[in-house]
Amino acid sequence: MRSRVDAVFQALADPHRRFVLETLAGRGSATVTELAAALPVTRQAVAKHLGTLRAAELVEPTRAGREIRYSLSPEPLGDALDWMERVGSEWDERLAAIRKHLS
Amino acid sequence: MDVRREIVFPAEPSEVWEALTEPERLEDWFATEVELEPRPGGRGVFRWGNGEERSASVEEVDPERHLALRWEDDGGEVVFTLEPVPEGTRLVVVESSPEWSTAFELRALATACAVA
Repeated sequence: MRSRVDAVFQALADPHRRFVLETLAGRGSATVTELAAALPVTRQAVAKHLGTLRAAELVEPTRAGREIRYSLSPEPLGDALDWMERVGSEWDERLAAIRKHLS
Repeated sequence: MDVRREIVFPAEPSEVWEALTEPERLEDWFATEVELEPRPGGRGVFRWGNGEERSASVEEVDPERHLALRWEDDGGEVVFTLEPVPEGTRLVVVESSPEWSTAFELRALATACAVA
């Protein structure tokens, strides 16, 4: 248990990794390429940060066709991210309803 | 702290704008009962079937391009941006909460201090 807590703390200590988490929380999911476009670091550096976040169980990869999308695994981060998940799924539902009414 | 979603509708920007700003259209997808004055400084009142009611003020309006609302209860902001694309209209919605933004920053700061 202690090692898991340490892994989360270590993962959050880096500003680029915090930016990656905020971006994933805001967008729902993103690829390494999309994250690298939003950060002043290389694709390789982003991949390494994702490895650290994955070891802390803060992100999880999903294969979608030929690409791997990363999404947040918010349980370790608590209430703030619960809010983002809730608001995000509300918008997913609302946008689907607009689409239905526009077609 | 921002929640961001993006979607492309097979419709003209004017149709999407109507869905976002006309009360009777908003009642199709946002709330059960809607009052909204889509002009800067205008007020919005949204009621749901479970008795919930939220009020917002209209902050920015640029017809068929941009709409910003601020919730009166938690101070959060909702910003819609529309853009014509070959497939129709791209809508980007961003909802931000100042309350949770502060909570997250404090948590990150506390974590950074604990590690240092």
